[in-house]
Amino acid sequence: MRRAVARLPPTTQAALLAVMLSLAPPAGAAAGSGDLAELSLEQLSDIEVSSVSRRDQKLSEVATSLYVITGDAIRRAGARTLPEALRLAPNLQVARVDANQYAISARGFNNAIGNKLLVMIDGRTVYAPYFSGVQWDQQSVMLDDIDRIEVISGPGASVWGTNAVNGVINILTKASGQTQSWLARAGGGNTDSLAALRVGAQAPLGGSVRAYVQAQRQRHTRSEAGATVADGSHREQFGWRADWLDAGDGFTLQGDAYRGDADDRIGAGTNLGGIRTSGENLLARWTGTGAGGSKLRVQGYYNHERREDRLIYSPNDTVFDLEFQHTVSLGAHQLDWGGGWRHAKDDIRPGLLFAFVPQRSSQNWRNLFAQDDVRLSEQLTLVAGVKLEHNGYTGWETLPSLRLAWTTAPEHLLWASISRAVRAPARLDRDLRLPPMPPYLIAGGPNFMAEVARVLELGYRAQPTPSLNFSATLFDYDWSRLRSGQRPPNAQVQNMIEGETRGAEFWAHWQALEGVQLSAGGTLLHQNLRVQLGSTDPTGPSALGNDPSSQWQLRASLQLSHRQTLDIGWRREGALPNPRVPAYNALDLSYAWQIGCGLELSLIGQNLTDRRHPELNAAPTRSELRRSVFVQLRWSS
Amino acid sequence: MNATGPRRLRPGRRTWLGLLMQACIGIAWSQEDAGADEQHVKAAFLYRFTGYVDWPDSAFASAEAPFTMGVLGADPLYGELTQIAIGRKVHERSIMVRKLAPGEATGGLHLLFAGRGVGLRPEPPRPLLIVTEVDGEMPRGSMINFRLVDRHVRFDIALDVVETAGLRMSSRLLAVARKIYRAGGA
Repeated sequence: MRRAVARLPPTTQAALLAVMLSLAPPAGAAAGSGDLAELSLEQLSDIEVSSVSRRDQKLSEVATSLYVITGDAIRRAGARTLPEALRLAPNLQVARVDANQYAISARGFNNAIGNKLLVMIDGRTVYAPYFSGVQWDQQSVMLDDIDRIEVISGPGASVWGTNAVNGVINILTKASGQTQSWLARAGGGNTDSLAALRVGAQAPLGGSVRAYVQAQRQRHTRSEAGATVADGSHREQFGWRADWLDAGDGFTLQGDAYRGDADDRIGAGTNLGGIRTSGENLLARWTGTGAGGSKLRVQGYYNHERREDRLIYSPNDTVFDLEFQHTVSLGAHQLDWGGGWRHAKDDIRPGLLFAFVPQRSSQNWRNLFAQDDVRLSEQLTLVAGVKLEHNGYTGWETLPSLRLAWTTAPEHLLWASISRAVRAPARLDRDLRLPPMPPYLIAGGPNFMAEVARVLELGYRAQPTPSLNFSATLFDYDWSRLRSGQRPPNAQVQNMIEGETRGAEFWAHWQALEGVQLSAGGTLLHQNLRVQLGSTDPTGPSALGNDPSSQWQLRASLQLSHRQTLDIGWRREGALPNPRVPAYNALDLSYAWQIGCGLELSLIGQNLTDRRHPELNAAPTRSELRRSVFVQLRWSS
Repeated sequence: MNATGPRRLRPGRRTWLGLLMQACIGIAWSQEDAGADEQHVKAAFLYRFTGYVDWPDSAFASAEAPFTMGVLGADPLYGELTQIAIGRKVHERSIMVRKLAPGEATGGLHLLFAGRGVGLRPEPPRPLLIVTEVDGEMPRGSMINFRLVDRHVRFDIALDVVETAGLRMSSRLLAVARKIYRAGGA
């Protein structure tokens, strides 16, 4: 019964299958190389070719709403934590809950337990499998080592799998060969301080290696009522990466370990302690090019996270993940296929409020995917893909997508897509209990199914002149079986919210003058979600997220002189409806001066026009984020 | 329990999807050849270049030894070149096309094509024609560099590097080149 629900309607499914099977290259779509080889040098010189080569994957030809945050942009903006760096992406909503916690989403459904975004650091999925969301206070990267962050808003499920419903964030660090210099960074301000050190060296057998260590402190925030919030924290992390790469092929081995601790919380006369976190991970990846240009990527990782929170619950979870991907070109087709297996084991100790029943669990997921990237003509490319993913709750989930990209003129791309994406049930949906001992007021639903989205997207991306590029995307989601509750007591988690979300995303970059780069971006979101007839859900769709109907940002990056840069960022976040959070404007400035000898001094101010503002949750206990000023010294050899 | 039941797309939306899919398929079949693939043209050029370059006999192990082309990091082009090589000859020798792994030695090759993003290793001069596709400055060690100019594949030649390597280029090839670099400037 459940399986039938998870499938597409038969007509759509049949049509999809028909499309995927019938896409042999059209006869005579391109002159064969054999014929061209008979032409003279002069004739060859006269042939007009496609100005864009599909396999290069230039940004201007990616048929998806993809925004790239470069490592350089992160540094110039003066970001000090990963979530703050993600604010640079106009297609993400980033709301800071307190000194450590964030809610990050794309296309709505944002709250601290948001679950429709897939986040990866160097190919390692960092969402916690027990709630299919990300504990942002447990994710950190040495920001100086980031090569780029790819932010895809929209479904990526046919490649990335369940949870890639509203977006994929792919954080990629540089290969260790590119970070061979020494780097030291230290700074402090009225809200936080940090110190970091990275070293690079040669490794045996022609490889390279780097290692880093960093420590960060956050000062506690204050609530809107003026009370001290117990969220002051410190966090230490070290990690390393070793590569044996040649032209991108080869072997990579990397790992990190961290621990963090926040202030003790006193509640109801008892000390609940702070939120204490720790974890470690280890990843190995091999990429090789075979005969005929086929590419094979094999990756495995181990990820272990501990979180001690005596108020909520205290998970201790371990994930083993293995996957491979094979890419092969066959004429006009580029075929990607692969599969993976994931094993998670956890032990979630009850807190004062919640428990998981059973407390311990062990789960397996496996998946297979195939994607065919067909060049139909010089201007048209079709990407048809499907992923089949198996989970222990709902069995096989089918995640198909179809994308059509039309290069209307050189550097102008019009694209459209249809996809089906799924957020598979997690332990939280099935096993959560409030309070931790019976009789329960609220319990996970034994029949909770996958949440499903059917998505249409239409996008346009262009670079009309070398100094100007822009992207605009319209999206339309048809949601079914979203998570809902019931009226307590004995309430169970159900799938009885449905509806639609629609919206637009756009951004543009303009290199106005040499040394002056301007960018602008924004999103619009309209949500129409409703509780289905027969449900007794007392909260309704507001439990699924609290989203602004619009957000805007403007940035200017100025090269003041060959030693000085100034970055000015302004953003406006629309009001959140329920609970109500007022709209706010934030002005950020980041000034950097290259003193010489590899030394850089920077002065960073955030929320400069605003003494303090809240970004999420209900007054008067919610944290307010205040104006911050930070001074930093950075040295690299 | 299952209050939602199997959910179907609303009729309106289903038509929408159907139309879009039909459009995809329709466009796919109606498209005629609108231009050639860049990699096809470059592969054809590589084959053609061999007719205008002379390799010394010492570059070949024997009279029967094949003419060997190596491709580094340009997968689509490698595929095209293998197609061209079938049944064709270079200077009366059969053609062998090899896909090189990064870092693999280039000994035994007569022509090397290094795709975009692949760095060239400095090598002692020997009769190996090195072709690249770099948008910026002509890379060091490269003898012929492809460039895309107004949607046409053009190429520059570093004549001094060619001559140092012990290769001889025909004036016809030089005549078609976009730019010719000699020692001390263009």
